[in-house]
Parts: sequence; structure tokens; C-alpha cells
Amino acid sequence: MAHVHEITVWTRGVVKDKEGRDVANALAKAADKEGRFTQAFDNYVDLPDRVNVPVRKYARISDEEIEMRYDYENEKPEVVVVVDATMVKGMNILRGMNKGGVLVVNTDRKPEDILKFIPNKDLLKAIACVDADGIAGTATVDFSGSEGGVDAVGLGAGIAAPLLGAVARATGLVKLENLAAVVKNKEALYRGHEQTVVQTIN
Amino acid sequence: MAKEVTLSGCAAAAQAVKMAKVDVICSYPIRPYTAAMMELAKMVANGELDAEFIHGEGEHAQLSVCYGASAAGARTFTGSSGVGVTYAFETYSPISGARLPVQMMIADRTLDPPGDFGSEHTDAMSCRDQGWLMGWAETPQEAFDNHLINYRVGEDPRVMLPQFVCQDGYFVSHLPGKVTLPDQSQVDEFLPPYKPPHALDTKKPVSHGPQIRPDQGVIMDLQRAQAFLDVPKVIRGAIDDFNRIFGRRYSPFVEEYQTDDADVVFFIQGAHALTARHAIKHLRGKGLKIGLVKLRFVRPFPTEEVAEALSKFKAVGVVETSTSYGGAMRGGNLLHEVRAALYDAPKRPLTTSFMAGMGGEVIPLQEFYWMAEVLAKAVKDGRVGKYVYWVGFEQAA
Amino acid sequence: MFDIPKEREVPFAGVTPAPVGEQPMMITGNWRTYRPVIDHEKCNLCMNCVIFCPDACWQLNEAEEEVVWNSKYCKGCLICVNECTTAALTKTYELDFEDGVVRLEKLF
Repeated sequence: MAHVHEITVWTRGVVKDKEGRDVANALAKAADKEGRFTQAFDNYVDLPDRVNVPVRKYARISDEEIEMRYDYENEKPEVVVVVDATMVKGMNILRGMNKGGVLVVNTDRKPEDILKFIPNKDLLKAIACVDADGIAGTATVDFSGSEGGVDAVGLGAGIAAPLLGAVARATGLVKLENLAAVVKNKEALYRGHEQTVVQTIN
Repeated sequence: MAKEVTLSGCAAAAQAVKMAKVDVICSYPIRPYTAAMMELAKMVANGELDAEFIHGEGEHAQLSVCYGASAAGARTFTGSSGVGVTYAFETYSPISGARLPVQMMIADRTLDPPGDFGSEHTDAMSCRDQGWLMGWAETPQEAFDNHLINYRVGEDPRVMLPQFVCQDGYFVSHLPGKVTLPDQSQVDEFLPPYKPPHALDTKKPVSHGPQIRPDQGVIMDLQRAQAFLDVPKVIRGAIDDFNRIFGRRYSPFVEEYQTDDADVVFFIQGAHALTARHAIKHLRGKGLKIGLVKLRFVRPFPTEEVAEALSKFKAVGVVETSTSYGGAMRGGNLLHEVRAALYDAPKRPLTTSFMAGMGGEVIPLQEFYWMAEVLAKAVKDGRVGKYVYWVGFEQAA
Repeated sequence: MFDIPKEREVPFAGVTPAPVGEQPMMITGNWRTYRPVIDHEKCNLCMNCVIFCPDACWQLNEAEEEVVWNSKYCKGCLICVNECTTAALTKTYELDFEDGVVRLEKLF
């Protein structure tokens, strides 16, 4: 079985739900352009219709066909994206991660201000902080694209775009130009890529 | 003293429910079961029965009321017919999953094609996989008895499952028959009060019906599956007690009639077994070695008992009175179960099924004679021509 | 009998003891991005926060004569800030505090 790269996005119900979903969807779509096997989906067990509730979105990227397509959750994420930085206090966001993972956080604070809330930070190879709110403005509060809804807003129109730039920069998992081909706010994507602060840990 | 009276199936059901000292009744009218509720309403109104009588705003509400009442610790009764039964469909699995011994009477009615009110078992049979006990009565007497037996079995701590207590609409529900009403003391001896495991208690609050995860759902499925494995033992015990206390001679699962030297038999549940017995009497007069095996519980299906009973014969004709469009046997539900039960039997009879009494038509003696002919021909040919015959509408193949 | 591992057992019929006081199966403190911070000098004990909080996260401590905030369950809806009659409550970013860590292992 080929290695499946698991990306878990932590976000908040309703207010940043679409932004989290956009991160997962855009990563899968960009990887798809590279001819890889992909999946992107919302966690089915979470309760995303409650304002601010922690929810998860997942992407999977593989060079071969993904055999466990029907797994509910990403058991061993190697990349974790946190759309709302305060969630580092509320959840063990690195749960299941093997040593050498990458954490991408939407924050205007310094990596060490975030890492102090992460007791298992030694799992990380690197942390990347990007001020996605500052770059793209406010989050898109919209149900677009959820459970079959029409996406009237478009993929990566809000803070998902700079976050995606940060993921590309910190992980190299997908190419920036492929993300640019699928994301609506390309300028925010590039600025996110450029302004991300990456700190190597191990 | 026990006394003999003449009652319709609906009235007999109401008498049984009264003697079971039910606590909560929820009604909504639909023919043909309605008369049972009218009887019960009278009993409550004139003080014969001390129970809460609630008018549901539909069948879904009826079952939901009983769900709550049963969870709170009440012995409950409700009922319906035909499309009323299917309207409440959503509630059936939650009630059995909550392990609440709600009792529901079903007086069969066709599932509107459109607007038929005749009796057909398809309404109840559509609900057979929802975790409820299910069985039919042949006469008002058996209906009366089945209501008591089902309360006893369903409320047993080893079981704790709801029950569909079925009778054919019109044939049983509306046509009066002789019923021996027992003494209340006999009923009290047979049926202890309902002891819910989680009766409403403000000092010990509990949550019923919580949201669960998929990995917990499978465990609850397992709990129900285990309960169904335990039911047959409990039914046997209850029938033994019932026969002793009331002086009846029921067998728990399958009842045989004229089978000692029989080559062929009808396999049947419900009202039309009565006509079948008379047909068999006449056919035997003409020298045909024919008998009858009647099913008393279709859930739990008595696999071993059916296999043992039926493997004695050369051919079995399953008289269905319900249908499964597009099913493996191109028709009846019961033949699926019968063939599956016989699959591992060392000796297997020829089996076929008859769509008879569909739409609520009567099954006249002549139709049983014709079915017997088909079975005799099958024995002679050593094979059955078809899985299913629509009786009255086709030739014996 | 089926073989159900101990950790996967589910109570009969799924009936569980109802929580009295706090619900340990639904901790909601991690829903919060901003928290209400109280200035006890300004508070006149009008009780609006206690009354309006949808999750009973403000309680009156009668001995101390002050209202007490529950960080384990406060979702940060900030209704209390809105309803406060003396502007004693202020909205403050959660990462400014070291306390209030819930850090659940699993959501459910």
C-alpha cells in the first residue's frame, strides 16, 4: 500500500467552516492536477452546524490509489492546519501524528507564542505561522459547498488562500502554481506563501 | 369463573389489554383496527379500566407517545392498520433499540393500491426486520391469548422488546367468534406487573435515546441480536405457563394439523388457516394425504422447528397473503424464510408459494383444493413448476 | 454470547445516567476564541450575566459576593458582555491567557 499523505485541518463550525473546507479541497484539487490520487472531505462525526465548535476537514494525497477511502478520520496526519489559533488550547491537534510532522497556524503571533500551548511539539519538524486574517481580511461566513451545497463564493476566496500558501511553503506537498490554478484569491495565496514564518523544530 | 362470550378480534384484543391492566393507550383511527380503540375508550370512560387514553395526531405520534410512556415505566398499548402501520415506520427501530416492550396491535389492511381496505399481511410483514416480535392470530380467541403472551414475553428482562400482535383485518378483527375470557386472577398469575429497568425517577435521572457514534451503534445492534437469540427460550416458558394456567394447548412456534401421515401440507399464518383446516377435512375425505402447519411467530422465526416440521413432507405449499415485489421467490416473504430454514435440513421437501387472499379477498375452499392439486402434481412430477402461483389467475404449471 | 471488548461496551438500550451539574461528555470550553473578563470593581451584581448566559457559566458566589466564570464550559458567545449593565465585562483574546486550557484528546 502506497503512503498516503494525510492533512487534517482544524477549524470552527459555521464561522470558519468554509475556510477549513477550502483548505482541504484546494490541496486535493491541486494535487489532482499533478496526477496524484486525492480525497478531501469533512469529518462526518463532528457537529459543524454549531457556531465555533471545533470541526475537522481532511485531505489525502497519494501516488497510488487510496485503498482505505472509507476511513472516517485521518488517523496519522503529517500536516495539521489550524484555521483558528485559539484551538491549540482546546484540542490535542497533533493527535496521531508521527514524528516529523508540520503544523500550519493562522496567527499574527510568533511561533513560540503558539508552541507554548503544544506540549507534544517535539512531534513537529516545523511550525509555520501566517497572518491569514491580516492578508485576506475576514473569514467567509457561508455554507457554500457544505454537504452538496452550491459553492457560490468560490474556492479560496478568503483566509484559506494565504493558509494554502503557507502549507505549500512549509511542506512542499503540492506546487504553488497548482494551488494558484484552483484558488480564487491568488494574490492572498502568494502573499501567504511569501509572508509565512517557518520555524524548524527538529 | 372463566366465561365464554362472542367477540370480534378487535373486541377480544381490547378485553385482553384491559385484563393486562395497561397503563397508557394511544389511539388514532384507521379501519379495521379502530374498533379495538373504541372498546378501550368505552372501558376507560365508564371506569372499567384505569388507564391514560391519549388521542395521537397520527400513527407516528401514537408510537412516539408509547415510546415515552414505556420508557417512563408504563405498560403501553397502541395499534394500527395498513398505511397507518407504515406511516409510523420510523419509530419502530428506535423503540426496539431502546428495548421498550411497547405492544402494537395490527389488524391487517392492504397498503393502498390506492384505497383498498381489505386484509393483506404486507403492512405488518414490511416491518418484520425492525426488532419487534411478530405473530398472527387465527381467531379472536387466539388474538386475545396472543396479546397476553406477547406482554409476558416482551417484558421479560431477558427480552425487553416491543411486539406486533397481528390479526387479519375483517376476517378476525370484525367477524365475531367464541372467546373464553379468563378470570382476572388467572391473568395476574400469568402476567406480572411491568418492571422497567429505568423507570422515571427524579432522584436517578437518565438520558434515553442519546446520539451515538457508528462504533457504538454496532454494539447496540449486537444487544438486540442477542435478545432475539434468547427470545425462543422465553416464548417456550411463557407458552408452558399459559397452557397450564388457562388450560389451552398451544405449541410455541408451529402448530400441526392432520400431519401424521401427510404427504403435502399448507404452511400458513393467520386467519385463512381456519378455512384451510376445513379444506383439508374435505380433501382427506377424497383420500388426499394433506395437512397443515401453522406459524405462530414469524419474528423470531423458528428456524429449527420449521425445518423439523416441514422436512417430514414431500411438498409444502406456503400460503402467503403478503408479497415482496421482485423478491428472490418472485412473490411471498414466507417462502424466503421457509426455504432458508430448510436449506441445511437432511431431507428437503419441494416448496412453492401461493399468492392467495391478496387485496383482502377471501380464500374460498375451492382455491385450497386447487393449491392441493398443484402440490399433488409437484409430488408426482418430482419438481415444482414455479416459485409462486397467483391463485385464481393462472394454470397449474 | 457475543464477545464485546470491555472498552466498547454500551449501556443497555443506550440509556446513560443524566449529568447532574456539569456534563463531562460535552466540554465546550474549546469553542471559545474570546473570553469575558470581569472587573469586579465595576460589577454591581446586577446578575444579568448569570441570567443571560445560555450555558450557566456565570454563577453567584454568595460568600464572596461576586460572580464566578466557568472556563471549562464557556463557549465565548459573549452575550454576557453585551448584557452587562456596568461595562464590567470585556472581550479578550483567548491566547492572551495561559489558563483555560481544555485540550481534549478526542472530540467525541
